Amino acid sequence: MIEFSDVGLRYGNGPEILRDLTFSIEPGSFHFLTGPSGAGKTSLLRLLLLSLKPSRGRVTMFGEDVSDLTQDRLLQMRRHIGIVFQEFRLLDHLTTFENVALPLRVLGQPESEYRPNVTELLEWVGLGERMNALPSLLSGGEKQRAAIARAVIARPKVLLADEPTGNVDPELSSRLVHLFAELNRTLGMTIILATHELPLLDQFNYPRMLLSKGELVIHD
Amino acid sequence: MIERLLSILPHRRGPASIVPEKSVAGRTLLLMITIMSFLSAVTLGGVVLVQKSAIAWSADVGREVTIQIRPVAGEVMESNLRTAVSLAQSTPGVAAARALTIEESQKLLEPWLGTGLDLTAIEIPRLVVVQLTDPADADIEGLTRNLQAIKGASLDTHAVWRQQLNTMAGAIVFSGLMVLALIGVATVLAIIFATRGAMSTNREIVDVLHYIGASNKFIAGEFQGRFLSIGLQGGLLGALAALLFFALIGAAAGNMLSSEAGAQVGVLFGRFALGIDGLIGIAAVVPVIAALTAITSRVTVRRFLAETS
Repeated sequence: MIEFSDVGLRYGNGPEILRDLTFSIEPGSFHFLTGPSGAGKTSLLRLLLLSLKPSRGRVTMFGEDVSDLTQDRLLQMRRHIGIVFQEFRLLDHLTTFENVALPLRVLGQPESEYRPNVTELLEWVGLGERMNALPSLLSGGEKQRAAIARAVIARPKVLLADEPTGNVDPELSSRLVHLFAELNRTLGMTIILATHELPLLDQFNYPRMLLSKGELVIHD
Repeated sequence: MIERLLSILPHRRGPASIVPEKSVAGRTLLLMITIMSFLSAVTLGGVVLVQKSAIAWSADVGREVTIQIRPVAGEVMESNLRTAVSLAQSTPGVAAARALTIEESQKLLEPWLGTGLDLTAIEIPRLVVVQLTDPADADIEGLTRNLQAIKGASLDTHAVWRQQLNTMAGAIVFSGLMVLALIGVATVLAIIFATRGAMSTNREIVDVLHYIGASNKFIAGEFQGRFLSIGLQGGLLGALAALLFFALIGAAAGNMLSSEAGAQVGVLFGRFALGIDGLIGIAAVVPVIAALTAITSRVTVRRFLAETS
């Protein structure tokens, strides 16, 4: 599904942030992406999100080389990728329901069509009672569950999560990772979850990708 | 008050706007567009008023010509006046002709010579006022030719004066249109800056939309919808303010001035009655401003997105 071959990344004329990345991700798999701060986790996620192009090497996603995609094709491919951020990035003036429905609105679906799906998903993530609340009234855990719901509502093939447990307590972190695991198991979604919380990794038996100084030192 | 007024104006229905409706940039732009619409509507209304008054004036003056008979030694003025009246009345296209009395003629000189002067010792030119049924059909050339038989007689068709009036009215209309064009340019520039400001303020929203797979076209459409709404609201408020302005000016001109002065102002400006064409012009400001706002913001957003993505 995803293949990196000798990929390097640099911003402008600066030093290489990522070096010689070679790995492949199978469909329906779950991977932890870990490493110390500054190791390049977010940059790698941005490459996977197709918001950056590699400086060298070859990235193949869904069977296509991403280096020479047209703008339209890039957009279509990006719609197969969901993203969850550490800082949630919910739109403050929209309700939980409207935030989660956003990817479907972008796809041009009418509200009458997506309302049942969004409601069902919000109930599944435990936000059925909070769907009309604005983000400012949600707790950290609720915001992150809303952000996860938004990332998966359009059924992407790949779900990327950048430190999704960074702003919640350890107990909630564990429950959130369970939620990702459930999505992986029930929907067959490929998940790459970036975190630097080692105790969390030990709770789950998923392969790890360890980045150190821009290089992939472990990929099991 | 303004909030209540805005609440009755057209709003988009369906899901909430992705671009926040209440923002500093939005309120500033609404105020700016309201002011620009008001200025456009007032300028347009003023142009219509001037043009209508000039046309009415020109038509009124054109329906009247004046025969002037200067005193000439050896000629009998009263006899010449009767001949001139007779010649005028027999000319095709003339409705009526009347010689001004000596008192009326002297009264015409009062603005220059003052009142209370005894002018009986001075022979002054006399006038014959000729009313035309239709200026286009009147045989003015024939009358001019016939008047050559009377010594000291000349015909004034007010053509020069009318031409000056038309030139002046044309200059005012042209200036008004130039002002309208400048207001349009200023509005476009202000919308461009406001749009770029709104884009920077809402950068987080643009990023999130990009991450969830929104195309630049979709994002531009969302911003365009928001700006179209602001344009419609601003245009409507500005046009209503302009209508109120003309109603107040008309009422002030009618009530606050003395009846004589009011009549003079009425002659000059047609009593500030916009008429149906003026009202249509002011109403047209609303969609034009809204369209200008929507198109300008769309182009600006597309450029902004192209630069940043």
